[in-house]
Amino acid sequence: MALLIRNGYVYDPMNGIDGEKMDILVEGGKIVDKLKSAEYEVIDASGMIVMPGGVDIHSHIAGSEVNAGRLLRPEDHAKDVELKTEITRSGVGYSVPSTFTTGYRYAKMGYTTVMNPSMPPLEAKHTHEELCDTPIIDKATYPLLGDWWFVLEYLRDGKIEECALHVAWMLYATKGYAIKLVNPGGLEAWGFGRNVRDIDDPVPYFNVTPREIIRGLCKVNKLLHLPHTIHVHTNNLGKPGNYETTLQTMKCVEDLSSGDKPCIHITHCQFSAFKGVDWREFYSGAEDIAKYVNFHKHVTIDMGQVIFTDTTTMTADGPFQYILHELTGNKWVNHDVETETSSGIVPFRYRRRSYVHSIQWCIGLELALLIRDPWRIFLTTDHPNAGPFTSYPQVIGWLISRKAREETLSKLNKRARETALLPSIDREYSLYEVAIATRAGQARALGLKDKGHLGVGGDADIAIYDVDPRKIDPSTQYDEYVKAFSKAAYTIKEGEIVVRNGEVVKVLDGKTYWVKVSSNSEYEVSEDMKRRFTEYWTVQFDNYPVSEAYLKRSKPVQVESEV
Amino acid sequence: MGILISPKRLFDVPVHARCITPDTFSTLSLSEILNLEVHEGNRKRKLKELFEVSTGPYTSPEGFTIWMKGDFSKVRYIGYGMSTGKIVLEGVAGMHLGEEMKGGFIQVYGDAGSWVGSMMQGGRIEVFGDVGDYTGAAYRGSGRGMRGGEIIVHGNALNETGCYMRGGLIKVYGSVGQFTGMHMHGGTIMVGGETEGRDGAEMTKGKIVILGRVPSLLPTFKIEAIKPRVKVGEERVEGPFYMFTGDLAENGEGKLYVSKNNNPHLKEFEKYLSPVKVK
Amino acid sequence: MRKIENVICPVCGSLCDDITVYVEDNRVVEVENTCAVGRAKFLNYGLHRKPKPLIRKNGELKEASIEEAVRRSAEILTESKYPILYGWSSTSCEAIRVGLELAEEVGGIIDNTSTVCHGPSILSIQDVGIPSCTLGQLRHRADLVIYWGSDPYSAHPRHIERYTVFSEGRFQKSGWRSFIRRLSGKLVKKRLSRVAELILRRKLTFPEEKYALPPYFISEEERKLVVVDVRKTRTAEVADYFLQVKPNTDYEVLQALRMLVNDQDLEVDEVAGIPVRTLEDLADLMISCDFGILFFGVGLTMSKGKLRNVDAALSLVRDLNKRTKFLIMPMRGHYNVTGANVVFTWQTGYPYAVDFSLGYPRYNPGETSVVDILRRGECDAGLVVASDPVSNFPASAAKTLVDNPLIVIDPDVTPTSMMADVVFPSAYIGIEAEGTAYRMDHVPLRLKKVVEPPPNCLPDQEILARILREVRRIRRG
Repeated sequence: MALLIRNGYVYDPMNGIDGEKMDILVEGGKIVDKLKSAEYEVIDASGMIVMPGGVDIHSHIAGSEVNAGRLLRPEDHAKDVELKTEITRSGVGYSVPSTFTTGYRYAKMGYTTVMNPSMPPLEAKHTHEELCDTPIIDKATYPLLGDWWFVLEYLRDGKIEECALHVAWMLYATKGYAIKLVNPGGLEAWGFGRNVRDIDDPVPYFNVTPREIIRGLCKVNKLLHLPHTIHVHTNNLGKPGNYETTLQTMKCVEDLSSGDKPCIHITHCQFSAFKGVDWREFYSGAEDIAKYVNFHKHVTIDMGQVIFTDTTTMTADGPFQYILHELTGNKWVNHDVETETSSGIVPFRYRRRSYVHSIQWCIGLELALLIRDPWRIFLTTDHPNAGPFTSYPQVIGWLISRKAREETLSKLNKRARETALLPSIDREYSLYEVAIATRAGQARALGLKDKGHLGVGGDADIAIYDVDPRKIDPSTQYDEYVKAFSKAAYTIKEGEIVVRNGEVVKVLDGKTYWVKVSSNSEYEVSEDMKRRFTEYWTVQFDNYPVSEAYLKRSKPVQVESEV
Repeated sequence: MGILISPKRLFDVPVHARCITPDTFSTLSLSEILNLEVHEGNRKRKLKELFEVSTGPYTSPEGFTIWMKGDFSKVRYIGYGMSTGKIVLEGVAGMHLGEEMKGGFIQVYGDAGSWVGSMMQGGRIEVFGDVGDYTGAAYRGSGRGMRGGEIIVHGNALNETGCYMRGGLIKVYGSVGQFTGMHMHGGTIMVGGETEGRDGAEMTKGKIVILGRVPSLLPTFKIEAIKPRVKVGEERVEGPFYMFTGDLAENGEGKLYVSKNNNPHLKEFEKYLSPVKVK
Repeated sequence: MRKIENVICPVCGSLCDDITVYVEDNRVVEVENTCAVGRAKFLNYGLHRKPKPLIRKNGELKEASIEEAVRRSAEILTESKYPILYGWSSTSCEAIRVGLELAEEVGGIIDNTSTVCHGPSILSIQDVGIPSCTLGQLRHRADLVIYWGSDPYSAHPRHIERYTVFSEGRFQKSGWRSFIRRLSGKLVKKRLSRVAELILRRKLTFPEEKYALPPYFISEEERKLVVVDVRKTRTAEVADYFLQVKPNTDYEVLQALRMLVNDQDLEVDEVAGIPVRTLEDLADLMISCDFGILFFGVGLTMSKGKLRNVDAALSLVRDLNKRTKFLIMPMRGHYNVTGANVVFTWQTGYPYAVDFSLGYPRYNPGETSVVDILRRGECDAGLVVASDPVSNFPASAAKTLVDNPLIVIDPDVTPTSMMADVVFPSAYIGIEAEGTAYRMDHVPLRLKKVVEPPPNCLPDQEILARILREVRRIRRG
């Protein structure tokens, strides 16, 4: 069905369009400059905002750890249920929604592309099975490769090219999209209940440091020409004083960037920007991080903004999750995956009256407001770690309005309010900047060429929000924006209207993106590799890869590598 | 003013009737009440399709009164979340009676199912017959059981009475099953009859008083003293009682009082008391 | 003869994936690498299977076409006010996904067999969490393996050899050497006493020290195997140490161990008949290992105390992590019971006992679990997939099931299928049909199709999809 979206205020930062009143034409699932067919549906978007469909660079929506989180929290689901309708499946929320509900709720907010950031390669089939049951949105998933024995061994021996070939094979075998590192080296150490102290602390039994892993995989990423950079969850995440580790992590790949192209993404940076020595002497390190990012173009980061609510923390960072369990006494799930990674889950409540949580809330926003280039800081809550993705509109409210921030600040812990830098920051995001931080910037960082913009030839993934930027001032009437961003007037996915007035009206299956590396030296699986494989894993080599049949709509992204 | 309600027939599948509360009924006219939605299994029904409903001059000090007569054993969530008024049920009540109740009074002249008063915060439930498992408990996975109010059972209760309880009072005059006060964090449980054991398992705070016989005690409880009497709510209960603390596996400080006279087999614990305490 | 390698064995939760199958004339003629149970399944499946679906007419099961059977099933399910859909642990995840959609469409209760095996474990996991891992992690690292209330030698025959004590890992070598040493030690002792008996001309009796830990002459580097059970199982016979507990006292023993692990003193001298000294030794063993694992079986989940036994075991392992690395894992029985939990959870948020009668998923085992519903006589129709509840359920529950209209999808003829109103003989997943299954440690594997199924035996997934289509057709007129 062809569409004519008429008279909307269009925000399309990739094409430099900042709230111009214009028409958007859609045909064959793409944005076009002229409609071929005479029959088309007209959407009157006058007095509304038109943006590319939202893109989320980091949100735990599928896979074994998410599902373990679901299993762990019946009390979280029972308070938030979704009824079955004629077209949609039933489900539950809240912090770890069931798969169908995840798809619908993203679409209702005008999001159309979501990246699932942590997949244990051995359990990749599970992730893809869940992604198949996550409707409407396009998605991709990052395999966890930072603690994989093959990687550790190759990098220890300095064999970058072999490592690159293995990583390419892994991306193919797991149908993955980017290289994910979580507490590099620390997860292998967690196999024996230990951790690494900093980026120069060698991994027990492997004689390789986190620095070497990060640099090595960064080089691999370059050799393979992957669309996204390495996606890094830093060492020491969640520990006071860790902003120094984060700075070191960013610095250690400084020389590997070429031109203005970023080469590292520091994810949910809020959790990695803690200053201080313990939880009492605890401050924001956002200013130092922002200063560094402002002067170095090789880094992109996302916020990991804290929301004051009851949520479920889940990361592959086993040792961090154990600390969280000891800190809170809450129930704890740990799941170590042989030769690859680990994971942990702990329910968590962020409380306004807690000093630490209040500072954490400030850190996320400080990062977003102090980093000047919106193309390199993205809006996330590290769903569900710092809060569920359904809180994004609330975060947008805080970004566009100082008043909104003050409102929340006034309810925070007093000491936090008095020590934090945030109250003195005046900056308010424009809608143009919001469009960058929630779609355009994320799409660019991910190397998704057809996403995050409304230029001709782009995917017709469009979000229309019913709020008039000429009449309603974001700074003072932020409520209206929060409301509008929570319930898209229309969400259009591949040219089909899937959401109308915040309700799902059509369900379709999204695509799964994955990277297909073609290399010069045709990658062959040697007998040696197979032998090591049988030694390292408890499944046979043949039974390891995810076949394309596991992807409902497979969308391979071809890249030409240097090896 | 009040409402009289009784089932039109015996139900074979569960009936979900969260709407049967004084809070809902008191704001509606009879015809609106008749058209309230309930579920019979997977079918949506109107209240009038399943129940005879009429108004009558029922009053009680608690205010608006619902008088229920008949077999409601398949009817779940009676009095769900109610905050005021009174429900008098002559017959059998189904599961989740008075769940998340905040105030008011429920009286059952008969038995009730499992999860009586689970997650309740206030008010009072009195059951003259027996109840099932998980009286005053929490929902699966949640650590927030009953937080306030009173549950009085004149008959027996089954397992895990007061599981994850945090406040309020449960009195069971009959006997109870295993794991009374499991994971208890606060509040008081009194058992008039005997228990099947493992009382106070993994409790961290709160008080359990057992007047009857217990088969044995968990090894993770430590005897502290012998007390002549103990307070349950406003009432003083005469002993003497062995007083234990636990559950030490959870570093708990819960108090478990067990009748001395009805448990001669616990005499061996007296040797662990320091002489001062025995006096 | 066709040789197919790396086939996955669809029998138990170990899901061994290194099986070689030889096929001739669409029949499996030989298998390699399986245990006896797996071998029996591959070589003897489908001997009594019916060739066509059956429908009960005038009290007798009569052959019918697939279409007729589908129509009758759809009628039964749409007419029902509270149908139950049960089984799901011996079929593929793809079938379970359709099953959940069907349950939602007809507003029924869907439950899998964990309701009668590890359901209590799940309830406890929801209370305290679970520190666990994949099985390879144990192969590489575990130096202390405890099986509590489970007997892998009989139920998961290759578990010990593939994943735990007798497997070779990167940091831990196989424990078979110490086993041989222990075995020869026993033999020497036997021979010496025989010689002594000949010299002394009388029968010698050695008092068996029931509870003391054996003196360790095995080297520190090798793995240790400890078995805790109510009787001396076959696994116990190969163990370094066997602790016999009285039936129904696991909870007390576990709680006592927790205190010892937390460095607290027990006031009593013995717990459930076991001297506290013995428990202290066991606690020391647990604390001093580098990487321990506790496997628990139905012996813990279905004996007195049920979910709270598991609660104590999970808490014990959690507490041990303050001192060392210690993990815990349930020994899952059916080959895809883990998968059933996994798929249920991602689609509905809950792992079993899901009630769709209100139009959204509700979960409250005890209320929404199938055995309890049947015992209260609350359901009015049933669909059973790849399970035999008539033989396994309590009599009162089985009675409600067969008194109401019942549909059975199962490749085998079972007591349940003989009592049913509609029977679909289906294809064997993992032999005649593909599909995904999850190992007990949540590792997904793709089951293979090695032979063609008979013409009227469709895979479960296909049968369910047809019933679902027919239900929708009836409902939407």
